[in-house]
Amino acid sequence: MANVVLSNVSKSYGNLEVIEGLNLAIKDGSFTVFVGPSGCGKSTLLRMIAGLEPITKGTLEIDGKPMNEADPIERGVAMVFQNYALYPHMSVEQNIGFSLRMAGLSKEDIAARVAVAAQTLQIEPLLKRKPGQLSGGQRQRVAIGRAIVRDPEVFLFDEPLSNLDAELRVSMRVEIAKLHNTLGSTMIYVTHDQTEAMTLADKIVVMRAGKIEQAGTPEELYDNPDNLFVAGFIGSPRMNFLRGAFGGGRLRLETGAEWAGAVPDGAVLVGVRPEHFVEPGHGAADVSVKVDVVENLGGTRFVYGTLGSGESVVVEARERGGIRAGDQISFGIKPERAMLFSPSGTRLRNL
Amino acid sequence: MIGRIPWWTVVVVGVIATIWVIPVLGIVITSIRPPSEVALGWWRIDNVSFTLSAWIRVWSEYPLAQAFWFTGMLAAIATLGTMLFAPVAAYAFHFLKFRFRRVLLIIIINAFVLPQQVVVIPLFILWRDLKLIDNIAAVLIPYIGLSFAWSIFLVKNFLEDFPKELIEAAKIDGCGPISTLRHVVLPNATSPIYAVGVLQFLWTWNALLLPMLYLRSMQPLPVLLTKVAGTYESNWDLRSVAAIVTTIVPLIVFVVFQRQFAAGSQTRTGAKE
Repeated sequence: MANVVLSNVSKSYGNLEVIEGLNLAIKDGSFTVFVGPSGCGKSTLLRMIAGLEPITKGTLEIDGKPMNEADPIERGVAMVFQNYALYPHMSVEQNIGFSLRMAGLSKEDIAARVAVAAQTLQIEPLLKRKPGQLSGGQRQRVAIGRAIVRDPEVFLFDEPLSNLDAELRVSMRVEIAKLHNTLGSTMIYVTHDQTEAMTLADKIVVMRAGKIEQAGTPEELYDNPDNLFVAGFIGSPRMNFLRGAFGGGRLRLETGAEWAGAVPDGAVLVGVRPEHFVEPGHGAADVSVKVDVVENLGGTRFVYGTLGSGESVVVEARERGGIRAGDQISFGIKPERAMLFSPSGTRLRNL
Repeated sequence: MIGRIPWWTVVVVGVIATIWVIPVLGIVITSIRPPSEVALGWWRIDNVSFTLSAWIRVWSEYPLAQAFWFTGMLAAIATLGTMLFAPVAAYAFHFLKFRFRRVLLIIIINAFVLPQQVVVIPLFILWRDLKLIDNIAAVLIPYIGLSFAWSIFLVKNFLEDFPKELIEAAKIDGCGPISTLRHVVLPNATSPIYAVGVLQFLWTWNALLLPMLYLRSMQPLPVLLTKVAGTYESNWDLRSVAAIVTTIVPLIVFVVFQRQFAAGSQTRTGAKE
């Protein structure tokens, strides 16, 4: 187990800087998730921690020691790859034991540790098979087994669930969370799926274009995003952004509703999460929505509709049954649950 | 089966196969008939008798058995050399970073365009100065060296499709460049290595020019074959036997290993495709 500290880390390919001056401290034993759209540099950052990509500038410390030039093995990291990267010519047992073999452990030691890893992941019956004879979920377990058998300081996961089908993804997600609880090691996980990030992480690092947009616990990012990007990225379905303007101490939405507020005059974007709309009359103002589609999920339902101003909105209407496409219905907005953003995307906090 | 083969394919293939087989048949028949009967052509049937005398005489009149073993030895060493060095070099050129990598690769691959005839004379002078004439190194070094152009190219081409994640996984698992090669790349690159081996074996087994020029006391089969034709006698029967003996090994090698040519990349990372 170890802390991972990145100070002023940059990565460039020639003139192209993909990560610039990034600072991040990852606490011992935490589960940190890097999340962001494709091409934001999250995988590159993970690979820099792994030792697969050289660090152009800045320092990486693991457990207090600078590790910029160290081999993956000296860093004490183990990695689970997106497409598993199992050695096709080796059996499951050999795949899992390979790093121990390279470390020069005795046959008995290797067998014992492979057995423990296999038991943890419940893959004992598969040990003699080749990766080609396994299903996607089983391969994923073997790939994780290959990582845990070494008892590493830091686990690195590079989108490990994206090749699995939806159902398996949910169950593997739970297993990874359990694994983190059992092992208590530092884990760093890369994904573009915000649900995975929200469910697994102690700390989420939202990245965009090689920079950290915001880092914090899932609750912090959900309740108190620093900017429009984070607000839109965290939460599913994503937050609605309604155009509006301040003037004379009142906030007026383009679609008609208005309430009192206190930020400088000018255009604003009002962010309201689908689950934060309330019954009409319960909020400070009501908006009228023309329903386009209703997604009924059983426990809850999402209403996809259009406002009078032409903006699309998604509203979660948990308690209101019987809504049909084509209906014109109203929802209330509570100002304390609405977030204000400047048109450039920064959060306006002193509401 | 997906669809039936059209009838004309069978006819065309049959005709081509026959054209190919006829000379082979001719050699076999010539080897088992007395020379007098086939002087006007092996297909003449005015007088038909069979004899194995050529098959018996050729071994005593010419050092055919000795040449056979010698050829086998040369071809085996040269083949093993290429099978060992080509994948190692291809791996280094493809996965490792070192100075002048590109320039070096271009120089080696460019030996493709260099015909053997161009190098024989400078090599001859070099071997003479080094006193290597009539030493098997004089042919083995160019056998292996000249094979690098195509063998490295062939293996490197295969490695283009080699999953990079496997190399990275090996690195994470604590492999250096050499153990990555040994434990991860080589076991998954058997098909190009065999393909290189088969091609190199056929080429070195049939080599004529280099051993004829650089070897004196021991001679491989293709060189011996040129000598079976006597000054006063054409020795068609003996030449046929020697030709069959020379051809049979490459033929067997090809038949046995032809699957290696058809086999594609067997490397899977275990991802769903």
